[in-house]
Amino acid sequence: MLKKAKRQLIKPTRRKVLKLGMAATGAALFTPFIHRSWANTVEINMLSWYGLAEPDMVEEFEAQHNVKFKPKYYAGGDNMLAALSQSPPGTFDIIHTDAEYARILIDRGDLIDELNPSDYPYDDMLHDDFTKFPGHWKNGKLFSVITRFGHLGVSYNKEHVSAEEAMSYNVFWNPKLKGKVGHFDWHLPSLGEISLLNGNNNPGPFDISASAWGKVKEKTLSLKPQVKGFFDYGGTFSSLKNAEIWACVGIGDWVTGVLEKDGAPVGSVVPKEGGIQWTESYSIVSTSKKKDIAKKYIQYSLTPAGQVRSAGMKAYPAFAVTKSGMKALQEQKPDEAKRTGQMPGVPNNPITLIKEGRIHYRDIPQQQSLEEWNEFWSEYKNA
Amino acid sequence: MASKTSKGLTWYAATWRLPNLVWQFLFFVVPLAFLFYLSFWLVRNYRMVPGFDSVNWVKMLSKDYFWDAYYFTFCMALVATVITSCIAFPCSYGLAFKTSNATRRWAIFFLIIPFFTSYLVRIYSWQVILAENGVINAALGYLGLNPFIMLNTVVGTLVGYLTLALPLVVILQTLSLSNIDRSLIGAAENLGCGRLRVVFTVIIPLAKIGLIVGAVFCFILSFGDFVSPYYLGGSKPPTLSILIIDTTKSGQQWPRAAVVAVSMILTLLVVAFAAVTAAYRKRT
Amino acid sequence: MTATRTTSLFFKSYICLVFVFVVAPILASFIFSFNSDRFPTIPLGNFTLHWYKTIYHDKDVWDALWISVTSAISVSIIATFIGFCTAYTDYRYNFFGKSAYLALALLPPTIPLVIMGLAMLAWLSHIGMSGRWYSIIIAHVVLCTPFAMAIIRIRLAQLNSSAEAAAWNLGASEWRTMGEIIIPFSLPAIISSLCLTAAVSFDEFAVSWFVSGLNKTIPVIILEVLQGQVDPQINAIGTFVFLTSMTLVVIAQILLMTRHGKGLSHE
Repeated sequence: MLKKAKRQLIKPTRRKVLKLGMAATGAALFTPFIHRSWANTVEINMLSWYGLAEPDMVEEFEAQHNVKFKPKYYAGGDNMLAALSQSPPGTFDIIHTDAEYARILIDRGDLIDELNPSDYPYDDMLHDDFTKFPGHWKNGKLFSVITRFGHLGVSYNKEHVSAEEAMSYNVFWNPKLKGKVGHFDWHLPSLGEISLLNGNNNPGPFDISASAWGKVKEKTLSLKPQVKGFFDYGGTFSSLKNAEIWACVGIGDWVTGVLEKDGAPVGSVVPKEGGIQWTESYSIVSTSKKKDIAKKYIQYSLTPAGQVRSAGMKAYPAFAVTKSGMKALQEQKPDEAKRTGQMPGVPNNPITLIKEGRIHYRDIPQQQSLEEWNEFWSEYKNA
Repeated sequence: MASKTSKGLTWYAATWRLPNLVWQFLFFVVPLAFLFYLSFWLVRNYRMVPGFDSVNWVKMLSKDYFWDAYYFTFCMALVATVITSCIAFPCSYGLAFKTSNATRRWAIFFLIIPFFTSYLVRIYSWQVILAENGVINAALGYLGLNPFIMLNTVVGTLVGYLTLALPLVVILQTLSLSNIDRSLIGAAENLGCGRLRVVFTVIIPLAKIGLIVGAVFCFILSFGDFVSPYYLGGSKPPTLSILIIDTTKSGQQWPRAAVVAVSMILTLLVVAFAAVTAAYRKRT
Repeated sequence: MTATRTTSLFFKSYICLVFVFVVAPILASFIFSFNSDRFPTIPLGNFTLHWYKTIYHDKDVWDALWISVTSAISVSIIATFIGFCTAYTDYRYNFFGKSAYLALALLPPTIPLVIMGLAMLAWLSHIGMSGRWYSIIIAHVVLCTPFAMAIIRIRLAQLNSSAEAAAWNLGASEWRTMGEIIIPFSLPAIISSLCLTAAVSFDEFAVSWFVSGLNKTIPVIILEVLQGQVDPQINAIGTFVFLTSMTLVVIAQILLMTRHGKGLSHE
């Protein structure tokens, strides 16, 4: 009876179907793997913003040293800290981060290695500030090496906003931009810009008294009726491109540059109230077992070749930090150098802007807690 | 059969019973319990410190932005549930009563397809379709109509929720509607009941359980989704799930994110319990 | 008579509309994946295979595919095993606390994925198991087991309850009956469950995003591209994922449809 029951249960037709199905799935899933042509290489695990370990940045170095970068992309410094603390020790070899978060990494004490300044071309920096950049050094010791930076100001759609209008942050309140203003969804750049509009440029937009902070909050809230939405990098990008928004607070050429090169009528300026600088650097993780190659990569990224790649990075462009890098950019990609003002004698030259005092380095709030700014940002989004 | 089931816990029985117990306890119950415990921890210098302090609860529950997000999320999920159920019902009704068995089976098969295409990819497609110069507005433009703003509004978010929940709701409704005893409908019609009246007095009460289960799933999915409100709604205003992500992104406040998460779970439990009670309540 | 035809027509067109809504984003994504514009708008650009070439030459995508496939296969096997055990327990036994036991088995889909991800990451990193190759598998098994349980339970409900008893009466042990009656009878459901849970795992992004660490799966890559450099790579990957998942679902469906409810079942 058992056998009969069994025979009833399994009919040859189903077996055939099953076999066929399995074979098809197997073929569909595994055929591509036959084509895998990558040789066994050393893997370097990088924790970074999106794009830093894409081929356009690392392919040359990978080929030279027979290594392969394996990225974990984060969205925002806190995300980076979380990724770091929630992964087993030794997961990451190299961290690419913003200056304000490099400072936090250093303060934690045991996360990143002290570095030797003489390993890096600190005599070739375009500005003295870069050789002692706040957040990269602690007690005269170097922990994080500057490789790229950029400026934040007014980003706008050239078909709907004129260059003159964009020269002041007041443009965001312009009635014709009602429902057309976007925010990059992070409080520091947006609130920093509004702080600059309120005249907080001495000592800087992030070092403000309680009453000035109150006014920044008030001014920010008055912008809400104009706001279309709050976007991450990808969102800012597509919203500007498909004209969902005509102006955006808290970003700069790092977003519009990509779109401009793609032919979109958008641009960014540092308005008359001043702009904010983001500054990115590399650090080596203390628990890494590949510190030598990580150091070599940092050195590579400061060579003229590395700087030119960084300046034209597909995901988001940046300014060169070394003199030789800027020179190489002018020679190899004159159009890009011209577009971004990385030429001698133009008014929007990034180094000139810094020297004129119109640029403030992005930082965490000095007189309020970061939490207070954060909470206000949540309130604002809900307002 | 009874003779063997009445025994105590044998090795044989334990073999089948334990895997679920062990796995779901270790990796479902414990993580959620740990999340609850985490909501009492503290954060010092961007590092979480174990503790037992109600400060996170007091802090979050006293914030207007938490309650704003809470009401907004709740209302959006409720609206999404009502809209989805209403849009789904005529479709399920049609599938259950107006089509052949084979058609119905194929329809359900097609409704399963979306579960296996990346939800993220579908949302990205909607971005392009709904944008101000996207597919729909281009079509409206050819007809000489003004663009209709959908992306980065509540409409966008709702389209996302529908994308997420509609196929599931239609499937659940169709299954429960096609299980209704046809003779009861015939009887009602013979007694002179109008078509609409049959739907409301006979069919809907008989399919109540399936309809409510569909609605509950729609509520759960919409209440917890962060992709639609972010990528189609422009995060304006943020929902609770966006608030969770924002909170983890701001100063490592995982304990406070845990507060939001626990509040969400409690809300869902209450809603699900109320709905299930309603579904199984005998009609008086 | 015309009234019936009108209503019938109404329902048919309404059903079609709903299907258009369901299929539109999938179809759009398919079209955009061959479109040359980085940000697709109307009218469309030229036909291109560029985005497919881009992902074909991207080692990260292949690595992610490898992780996705191996995780999905492991998850489907473990989840189906646990689901089978649970379904059989529910079919066969009554015991104290059974409703709590079933709640444990069926509740996971009711917890929002963001929260599951948050809780998983918090717990797994606390016990040092986050960011490992098995982290995603652990989390996905939790999510997939209820589906496996449901599918197999539905099949077992069709098994004539006297079949097992008859085998015992003929002197077969419980284990032998399991091997010769229950498992063969459940086989179609087991295979459907393998395919469906593999597909669910293959497409899950929220929990994976939290716990994956460096072991990124395909959906995590999609989320990263969506957050970062948005481009139609998303559509190309999406179309590929779609075809893979559909292969699995079609197999599951064929198995469910052939010999549905024959053999030892009630009918």
